[in-house]
Amino acid sequence: MTDRSLGLLIDEVALGLADDDDVARLEAMAAADPIVAARLDHARATFALLDDTADPLPLPEDIWKRIDQSIDLAEAETAPVAANVSGQRASKTEESNVIELGAVRAQLSRWRLSAFAGLAAAVVLAVALSWTVMSPKEPAVIAVLLNDQGDAVALIEGRPDNTTRVTLLERPDVAANQVMQVWTKPDADGPPVSLGLLETGESRTLTIQGLPAPNAQQLYEITTEPAGGSPTNLPTGPILGKGLAKEPVI
Amino acid sequence: MLGVAKRMLKRTDLAEDAVQDALVLVWRKASQYDPERGNATSWLYTILRNRCLTMLRNEARETPTAPEAIDETIDDGVLNTAWDRLESTSDLKRCLAGLDFDTRRAILSSYVLGHSHGEIAGRMNAPLGSVKSWVRRGLVKLRECMT
Repeated sequence: MTDRSLGLLIDEVALGLADDDDVARLEAMAAADPIVAARLDHARATFALLDDTADPLPLPEDIWKRIDQSIDLAEAETAPVAANVSGQRASKTEESNVIELGAVRAQLSRWRLSAFAGLAAAVVLAVALSWTVMSPKEPAVIAVLLNDQGDAVALIEGRPDNTTRVTLLERPDVAANQVMQVWTKPDADGPPVSLGLLETGESRTLTIQGLPAPNAQQLYEITTEPAGGSPTNLPTGPILGKGLAKEPVI
Repeated sequence: MLGVAKRMLKRTDLAEDAVQDALVLVWRKASQYDPERGNATSWLYTILRNRCLTMLRNEARETPTAPEAIDETIDDGVLNTAWDRLESTSDLKRCLAGLDFDTRRAILSSYVLGHSHGEIAGRMNAPLGSVKSWVRRGLVKLRECMT
């Protein structure tokens, strides 16, 4: 396979255009070759920006219950096999089969409770809480952004890996054709760098690659820009709030 | 998560099922998660998108498409919103902007709406083979722009 055709296969898989055979072929290649895996992950990360453009919809309240029931169901289907494997007497009557199954399910349930303390729970909860398991919990810096009147409008928590939690403290009045854009100045004498947009007008965590870890006295600000963000990649609109970061005392 | 699934599946109940299935798969496949290969969110969204695509392809085979699902005005609106919201400072937006309108539309509709080559060809009233090679030329151009 030429590099060009591999690149196309990667893009088609990342986009969802590839058929099942091609997806399986590429996944096998990625499992065997870290370079292919890295290229596939990079392509997925590139297009993943489009995931952020979907409307944020709340998950239904009963989703965790439904998930638990799905897992229960799947385990019930596999439990008779587990009973035999574990050396328990395989019953010949339907009635005793139910009892055996119940015991196995109880064991599986206990096992699952401890398993939930592991990576699966970490992953599910991390996503539910909108931060990744790779992000340290403690912010490296915190900034309170103030408006012209000195009112606090947003709280910024900058982490060493340059994920930035932006918590709005009031709902700013932003026109429908405008968007809030978050900026910082990693270098006090350099230009502002965009950390991302708050398209929905709500608090969110922004991630950016390639910046140094945030430091004390780093400037953060939020401006209003045309929909899609500043056309010049520098702040053009009015400043909603700004502030200098400080390292928290932990 | 639900927003991504609903954009592809169009119905809230199906989108909720997809999210539920994806989270169950996350639980089952947790041992396959490799932190070296990107963050957990990216991994989860890949699983979710794959689940949505499977549901879309199965549904296309098993049931006639509901009239509202082929309303191109709705699809156009979804794609326009996605394009407007896509961060203007990103390489993806800059390079997609360099493609002609139809190619950009095809790439966006494959990712955002989960459209197959066949659906793109149907909407453009063009032969499948031509659409495949035409999308591929667009992807090559996109890749060249982004590297």
